[in-house]
Amino acid sequence: MRETTHETVIEAQDVSFTYRLGRGSAKGAYTAVQGLGLTVRRGELYALLGTNGAGKTTTLEVLEGHRSPASGRVTVLGGDPSDRRRVRPRVGIMLQESGLVAELTVRESVALAGAVSGRRDEVDAVLDRVGLTAKGRTRVAQLSGGEKRRVDFAMAIWGTPELVFLDEPTTGLDPASRDAVWAVVEDLRTRGTTFLLTTHYLEEAEQHADRVGLMHAGNLRREGTVADLTANSVTTIRFVPPSAVDDIPIPVSGTENGLVVIRTRTVQRDVRTLNAWADAHGYELARFSVHESGLDEVFRALGSEGTKA
Amino acid sequence: MNAIAIAEFRLLVRNRLVAVCAILCPVLFGAAFYLNRDPHAAGGSVAGVQVVTMAAMGTYVSATTTLASRRQTLYLKRMRGAAISDRSILTGLVIPLITVNIAQIAVALGILASQSAPANLPLVIAAIVLAEAMFTGLALATAGLTASPEQAQYTTIPIFFAALAGAILSQAPGGDLTALKRTLPGGALTELIMTAWNGGSLSNAPLLLLPGLVWAALGVLAARTFFRWEPRR
Repeated sequence: MRETTHETVIEAQDVSFTYRLGRGSAKGAYTAVQGLGLTVRRGELYALLGTNGAGKTTTLEVLEGHRSPASGRVTVLGGDPSDRRRVRPRVGIMLQESGLVAELTVRESVALAGAVSGRRDEVDAVLDRVGLTAKGRTRVAQLSGGEKRRVDFAMAIWGTPELVFLDEPTTGLDPASRDAVWAVVEDLRTRGTTFLLTTHYLEEAEQHADRVGLMHAGNLRREGTVADLTANSVTTIRFVPPSAVDDIPIPVSGTENGLVVIRTRTVQRDVRTLNAWADAHGYELARFSVHESGLDEVFRALGSEGTKA
Repeated sequence: MNAIAIAEFRLLVRNRLVAVCAILCPVLFGAAFYLNRDPHAAGGSVAGVQVVTMAAMGTYVSATTTLASRRQTLYLKRMRGAAISDRSILTGLVIPLITVNIAQIAVALGILASQSAPANLPLVIAAIVLAEAMFTGLALATAGLTASPEQAQYTTIPIFFAALAGAILSQAPGGDLTALKRTLPGGALTELIMTAWNGGSLSNAPLLLLPGLVWAALGVLAARTFFRWEPRR
């Protein structure tokens, strides 16, 4: 049974981070994150989405304690995220880029990560959980990109941490492997693990995230449940027009491949109107479909926004 | 730390580049100096130059290469996300190299000692420990300025040849270059090992230990400034 509590696991207040691109050069500074505020509750799965270069990975690395914010305050599990004694043993981290050693085997790599994690687990059990038992004696250099991501994932979930950061965990995985990763995530959630992840697969966020944060140009521009974020978005109705388009009783947005396209924010009322009109004239609305807009349209709208919050 | 050190031991054997740098090259250096020695001379000068050059190659060059490689592959970054200290990470990475290097030096000096035993073994051991500390500190500093393991072939050249020059020049004590020889990394150590091996006055011993300690400290201080855990963006 999954449970989200009000206990705060991650809290970021007004966090900014700037990369110095040239040694001591003010001109070479690049602000990747600016004034970001974020809260994640225990048991929650929070998905951080955003355009390329939005600052997702930098945000994650600040929250992981890999980078110190230029300003603002970050608290993870009640402490400093870089605290190796009190915080790190309770946190699993999957980096966007691997950090694996090519000459070590899968088993050796996972055992090494486990040995420095501060948590206890069994190599065989972890490999089994991520479907890498058969690859245990294979050197990392011989793995496919997707298999390396699963090794990364295995290292992050070693010992069932209280909090797991996943930076694009399913990038490069085939659909079956993605499903397997999500099955493990859902299983860990039943044991109380909190997740903060970034992904470019919006459908994964829609399906699994309790809350979604949408980043653009270093800021968190939208935040909430998928239902919250898509509440005011447009729904599209399509069908083959049974008569002249002008006869249709509601405004038509256009046509596509012989289909009438109606974009509306009052979908229930418009569907009722269309059905009543079709019944009254004995029409069959061939290929009738209603497509509710998802995060993808919210996401696209975000991309067209400027760089200032 | 132990887990990292065990992994590094495995990698020493499995990675050809590191194996050549850390195992084969120092042995070749030691063997070359042994085979070219004057069989009628005391063993101290060969011992001194063997220790310094073998440590320069086996510890300094290898540790610089290893640290640059681990940073380039983001291994250091991954380890920094774990529940162990920076000191444990670095110790785990260099301890296998130092251990192998000490074993190599022990074998080389053992062969030499079978013909001409050292007069003051504890001082020889102290000099070896100091050589390892000095070259480890310098490796940490050099690794901070080295972007990749390939680049380490070039960035290690100045210190390596300075140590080599110091060791070779110090085989002829005295003269106008005494201060320079003792200042070069490894110069004073070579002279110290020669004195400890051949026997003689130890009044200069503190003076000969000092440059090694200063180089080690400078290396650590420079590493604090220059060492990076991730590739530069």
